Amino acid sequence: MTETKMFVRNKFSEYYQKHSSSIQPPTQIEKREFGFLVFKERIMIRHKGFKNVDDLTKFLKTLVPSDVYYSSAYYEKPEEEMEEKGWLGADLVFDIDADHIPTPCAKIHDTWVCNNCGTIGKGVLPEKCPACGEQRFDEKTWPCEICLESAKVETMKLTDILTRDFGFSPKEMSVSFSGHRGYHLHVENGEIKALDSMARKEIVDYILGIGLEASFHGLEERGERKLRVLVGPSLDDSGWKGRIARGTYEFLLTATSEELEKIGLKRKVVDTLTQHKETILESWKDKGPWGVVKDVGVESWRRMAQRGAEMQSAKIDTVVTTDVHRLIRLTNTLHGKTGLKKIEVPITGIERFDPLKSAIAFKEGTVTVLVFDAPKFRLGDQTYGPYKNRQVELPTAAALLLLCKGMAEVKEEN
Amino acid sequence: MKELDLKIEDMSEPILTRAEQRIEEALLYALVGTQSHNDEIEIPSFPVAVMMVAATADTLMKRRYALSEAKRVYNLLNEEKSKDKILKIANAFNWKIRSVNNKPPYEFTLSFMDYLKNATRLQAKEWKLVNRVVVDGEVYLTKDDTVRLLEEEVRAHIEKKLDVKEKFALPENVAERVERLKQLSVRQRGKIQFEEFPKGVVISAFPPCIKQMYDGITSGHHLSHIGRFALTSFLINIGMTTEDVINLYRSLSDFNERLTRYQVEHIAGGRGSRTRYIPPRCDTLRTHGVCTGMDEICKGVRHPLAYYRRKLRTIKTKVPVERAQK
Repeated sequence: MTETKMFVRNKFSEYYQKHSSSIQPPTQIEKREFGFLVFKERIMIRHKGFKNVDDLTKFLKTLVPSDVYYSSAYYEKPEEEMEEKGWLGADLVFDIDADHIPTPCAKIHDTWVCNNCGTIGKGVLPEKCPACGEQRFDEKTWPCEICLESAKVETMKLTDILTRDFGFSPKEMSVSFSGHRGYHLHVENGEIKALDSMARKEIVDYILGIGLEASFHGLEERGERKLRVLVGPSLDDSGWKGRIARGTYEFLLTATSEELEKIGLKRKVVDTLTQHKETILESWKDKGPWGVVKDVGVESWRRMAQRGAEMQSAKIDTVVTTDVHRLIRLTNTLHGKTGLKKIEVPITGIERFDPLKSAIAFKEGTVTVLVFDAPKFRLGDQTYGPYKNRQVELPTAAALLLLCKGMAEVKEEN
Repeated sequence: MKELDLKIEDMSEPILTRAEQRIEEALLYALVGTQSHNDEIEIPSFPVAVMMVAATADTLMKRRYALSEAKRVYNLLNEEKSKDKILKIANAFNWKIRSVNNKPPYEFTLSFMDYLKNATRLQAKEWKLVNRVVVDGEVYLTKDDTVRLLEEEVRAHIEKKLDVKEKFALPENVAERVERLKQLSVRQRGKIQFEEFPKGVVISAFPPCIKQMYDGITSGHHLSHIGRFALTSFLINIGMTTEDVINLYRSLSDFNERLTRYQVEHIAGGRGSRTRYIPPRCDTLRTHGVCTGMDEICKGVRHPLAYYRRKLRTIKTKVPVERAQK
């Protein structure tokens, strides 16, 4: 282990010595599988089980893992191999990660290195290396404020769908910041446990709007020939009906001519829509814009509704929710990539939640580090950087973030 | 039978005959129709039939029988004018169902969990949860929707009843009937059985998603976890050997022989659970972004293997056929 790695591990050890009482065990801890990433080899130790939280914290103090996970599933025998565990059910979990959301920052803070030729680039990962065509990269991502804000917005959309449509109460749901680039949402309730992977997939499709067809939500032509009229959902309808209406409204409010063309509308239709923008926006007070403008047919409206629905969907990770054996980071443990902790977020008041303040685990002391390259960033109330090949004295949390990210090496602890 | 405290030995000939008839109709027409008007025969004939089908240990017959009885329930309930009977049966299956009166065309709401339990087996777009009115955990349903979902519930219920592992002895007169049904099932099956996939791998019959992944992997491109699973299980199921599949992954920069071998053999059913995995359905591939867009054949199928089977048929008529290298 390098000196920097040793230093980080010592800090993590300190945290688990001091704060082990803050670790909240998952419900029915004895039925969960635990997994740990360790500093030295970066390998996963899996299939661990604990009878109670004391055994778990004792284990954490001795092992000092870089990351701690537990299963969303309940098992008869969590320590056995996968086929022998005896699956009893699983919580319903959602993961929202900035990686899956197109953000206004365009990820300029992320860097990638081609695995084959070593070409380095910034921003969103390309499909192929522009130099050699390779598709595998090493990625260095960054928990930027814009990314975290976008993830939060998606999380709010998700809680809205889960509450209004699925009828889950705030008591059954818990939201947390992962300590890195996203949010987790956990639903625990007796009935949900039994849902199989297929049923969970349907829930995923519902939340992402996959397979949605506006015709099932009231967008249709009614009547015969000359009397034919176009009707559609209204803003205050419930479920996807209302979301389609609100999404279409939102889209039409801001869409430029290019954006309208991009969804496949004909030039003539785009012109008509632009000309009648006022009339269309007014029409929402009444029955909506669906039949208001001549020359805009059902197919065009269908495309706009589809785009609107996309804006209303919450960008969850499809694999996490459908996997009924998933390991999830444990709340109040540290994230190995940042030194921040995973922390629960109050559902009411999520708008005001500041992840870069609340997730700080180390609040004392400073560390002098040599920073190779780091963007400007904020932690708590202070802003740091950008730094390039500079030795600086930073508060422990800020120093750890750079050390965990491999952007700096430790010089001395003050 | 146990629930009703009935003994198979005590069953009269008319009951046995009606039971056999139920199964026969299921095998021949996939529907249980004509009904004895005598309740003393009709009612016990159902558990007797269940027992007889279970005794055949014939998976196809079990599935077909469950489906046919469920269809019958659908037909009976569909003619029903009052909502009470539907509610009564739904309650017998512990559904969280409610009757609604002021929201036509909807007549019932059902908890989304009960909905999903039954609707995930139905493939049409209208059954996708995202195309339903879902409010406060309840899905709004028409009467026809509700009856259709009940049919699914009944089918699953009967299938579960038929899924008995232990063997049991039957009186001779019943055993004879069971034997007769088995033979009928074999004859019927001959007509509907799929042809096996031909030897050799026909690349030009791959569905677009698989083709793209296959091309990608042979030129050393990285694949998502789900992509690898779909590709591997597809190739195994159309008859590629595990060795050939492993070789396919060799061109990847992070190729690890031991790990790849373990994973491929696992999918092929050579390890652990000993079940061979089949690729995910189109629907699932779409959820996880593996689907690359549909062509004409895709529109008529729901599974990559069904695509392959169908495309093979069209290719077969246009020989010669190119084969993948061994």
